[in-house]
Amino acid sequence: MSKFMNSMRGILQRSFTLGLSILMAILVGSIIMLIDNHNPIEVYRLLLEGAFGSTRGLFITMQRATPLIFTAIASTLAFRTGVFNVGVEGQFFIGAIVGTWVGYAFQMPAVIHLPLTLLAGFIGGAAWAYFPTVMRQKLGVNEIITTIMTNYIATFLISYLTNYPMRASATTPETPPVQVTARLPQFVEISKEFGKGSQAHVGIFIALAVVVIMWFIFRRTKLGYEWRMVGLSHMFSEFGGVNLNRTFISGMLVSGGIAGLGGIVEILGVWREYKNLFAVGFGFRGNLASLLGGQTVIGSTVAAIFYGGMESGALSLEWGAGVPRQLIDIIVGLVIFFMAAEGMWDFLRRRKAAAKSGGDAPTAGQTPAKPAEKTEAAGQAAQAK
Amino acid sequence: MTNAVEMIGIRKVYPGVIANNNVNFSVATGEIHALVGENGAGKSTLMNVLFGLTRPEEGQIFINGKQVHIHKNSDAIALGIGMVHQSFKLVPSFTVTENITLGGEPRKGLLVDRKAAHDNIVEISKRFGLQVDPDARIRDLPVGVQQRVEILKALYHNADILILDEPTAVLTPQETRDLFGVIRSLVAKGKTVIFITHKFNEVMTISDRVTVMRDGKVVETKDTKDTNPTELARMMVGRDVLLRVDKAPANPKDVVLEVQDLEVLDNRNLKAVRGLSLQVRAGEILGIAGVEGNGQRELVEAIVGLRPVYSGKVVMQGKEITHASVRQRRDDGISCVPEDRYVRGVALRATLEDNLIVESYFKEPIGRGMLIDLNQVTEFSQNLIKKFDVRTPSSKVTAGALSGGNMQKVVLARELSLDPTLLIVAQPTRGLDVGSIEFVHRTIIEARDRGAAVLLVSAELEEIMSLSDRINVVYEGRIMGEVSGAEADEESLGLWMAGVGGNAEAAHEASSEHTAETLKG
Repeated sequence: MSKFMNSMRGILQRSFTLGLSILMAILVGSIIMLIDNHNPIEVYRLLLEGAFGSTRGLFITMQRATPLIFTAIASTLAFRTGVFNVGVEGQFFIGAIVGTWVGYAFQMPAVIHLPLTLLAGFIGGAAWAYFPTVMRQKLGVNEIITTIMTNYIATFLISYLTNYPMRASATTPETPPVQVTARLPQFVEISKEFGKGSQAHVGIFIALAVVVIMWFIFRRTKLGYEWRMVGLSHMFSEFGGVNLNRTFISGMLVSGGIAGLGGIVEILGVWREYKNLFAVGFGFRGNLASLLGGQTVIGSTVAAIFYGGMESGALSLEWGAGVPRQLIDIIVGLVIFFMAAEGMWDFLRRRKAAAKSGGDAPTAGQTPAKPAEKTEAAGQAAQAK
Repeated sequence: MTNAVEMIGIRKVYPGVIANNNVNFSVATGEIHALVGENGAGKSTLMNVLFGLTRPEEGQIFINGKQVHIHKNSDAIALGIGMVHQSFKLVPSFTVTENITLGGEPRKGLLVDRKAAHDNIVEISKRFGLQVDPDARIRDLPVGVQQRVEILKALYHNADILILDEPTAVLTPQETRDLFGVIRSLVAKGKTVIFITHKFNEVMTISDRVTVMRDGKVVETKDTKDTNPTELARMMVGRDVLLRVDKAPANPKDVVLEVQDLEVLDNRNLKAVRGLSLQVRAGEILGIAGVEGNGQRELVEAIVGLRPVYSGKVVMQGKEITHASVRQRRDDGISCVPEDRYVRGVALRATLEDNLIVESYFKEPIGRGMLIDLNQVTEFSQNLIKKFDVRTPSSKVTAGALSGGNMQKVVLARELSLDPTLLIVAQPTRGLDVGSIEFVHRTIIEARDRGAAVLLVSAELEEIMSLSDRINVVYEGRIMGEVSGAEADEESLGLWMAGVGGNAEAAHEASSEHTAETLKG
């Protein structure tokens, strides 16, 4: 009973702060819309209607959410092991390009070709994550910096590949189309009525399978336990005998792999060939969705779907009401901002309380927690040297 | 005689806790007043109220018979109240003079009058018999002298009432004796001292009167000569407490752990352990006494496998494990209660279950193939929680929600769950209340009686003397000497802890080497 109450309280608290952040974002967003001469209530109504109000809207939401689920889960996995993988973006692209190559360069039956192409995407993403991981583990270079850098390298590498060796079209930098045997069917290709007007594809099932598998791994496996514990306290895990190196590396590789898988699924389902810069920003939005979802598997999945919905709604707003979709990006940005601000409020509240009590926090749990975290951070810094 | 301090009806409530409940506390002018109580009894809150660091909901304060309103820290300082905190608030790279005058420098025009500051400090230190070199840098001074600087700082700000918050926690017995000398000379010059502690022998030695607090209330104030440690302990805990540890004579068997000429580097790449050798046998407790920072931490980390060995050997039951991984060593039967309970001992944000299984999740019956059996986890955890009497609403709360004593029980439960051949315990009772200390000590002795070899590292001399069958004293990374637990006396251990006697030559050589390396680094 108390276990149930505990987890319920956690979920409630989390939903409350999320709700509050969304509310604040909506309010500030309204002001911006008023300045831009739009009726905010009408805009929000159209936004929700566009995203979730019609079958077509729902399918577009699904299509938009599919790659975000991958990148959000990839980010979450890294966050949970204590790593900020900003490189999800680059891993997504590299997975896409490697998979695309396997997709167009080989001819074989679909039962082999499709899984092989997906696997190539996974390996591509994982390989791209390997480099910054090794830099972190062997040289202590901060992964945020290296993954940002590898994102640039990925962008330019792909620009080169699509412009020269892999180029198929004389007019635009794009690769040859992937073989039919490697494609993921869109719903509209399966049945004319189902999913009309959208490019939603069966890749959503792969995304959801990844969600279920990751949830299971975190909860029920030794590997998941190690990932979680290292993320919660690497000092404790090391003391308990967990191999930190192996755990970090495996976490990053699987994170990169999932991002890469997301990239190739997007290609196989929607684009069917690699156009240079076909989908910039999926990785970063995945990072954000993971933060929005509290860095939990289920939470970030919901956040990714919500984010996809906002994009779908924004599209229909742009078509239907002439509201620039940048406004929607601003709203989503504001939600994130206020979510982050929640941490800030918490910090300010604690500082105020500490000032009142002269730094002598009364409860047993809190006082020691602070120096401990400090030491931990110091330990991390030491490790970084 | 007027009272220097008179606090009446002080009430301070924190969310969920009444830290001070109608507390009356008075200190006579010119006395040494000991304030004792367990962690969370409300001593610090009361002193923070007096020192203006927190404001009470109710209550009156009189200083020298006059009612005062202390709203902030500077009010208290202006009233002549000074406080020396447990962790010093000094700038390591500044000189003694700079630290003492910081924020209150004598000025000559726009410039700091360095000479006036210097002379002023020399004068104060002479007057109160606190020898300090005003031009020395804090980082070069031993802890005991740093503490003296803190006291000087308070005196420089004209403190008449000095609050000392657990001042002996970081000192050797000799430094403690020096401190007591200083306190007596302060009182002789008309100062009033409030001495916060949890060590009963200090209360008996230094104080004129003693006030005991429990659960936010004052239990009683007594003249020290009318009370004794047993009574103090009873007042503090609220029940009878065994102060001496009961244990049967040791029955040492084969050597379990052997450390040979070990050298280990600290975080700054200086040698912290410098040619240390020791042996621990099955069924005995070897105590390592010493002031903190003499290589104990590095020694323990090297044995457990958290820190690489620079040279020398670690041998476990005849098998060399000098470079083995943490997990391999744990498989060989090493368990450890680390000194950083909040950093190494538990993961604060993880559940008790996750904390308890970190050494058993990968093997049967909890681990099966790649999976973890959640039912087994719960059963395993709940058994340990019951066996070690961890007070918690459930096995699924986070470790950070527990009190220090309960957290340490979690650590002990986990480390003993694998029935270790070698149990290392480092500073096992730091920050724990008397009741928990009793439990931890009993658990350690039970482990010994079951045949485990126990290596106990502690800065608390009393703890070392009451638990150990043999005692080694460590100074600057070397063993200064060994004595059996029965023959140990505080005096000679204290000298070794200060690097005097015993292996003195080696120690001297060690310290000059140390300086050379510091310069190189």
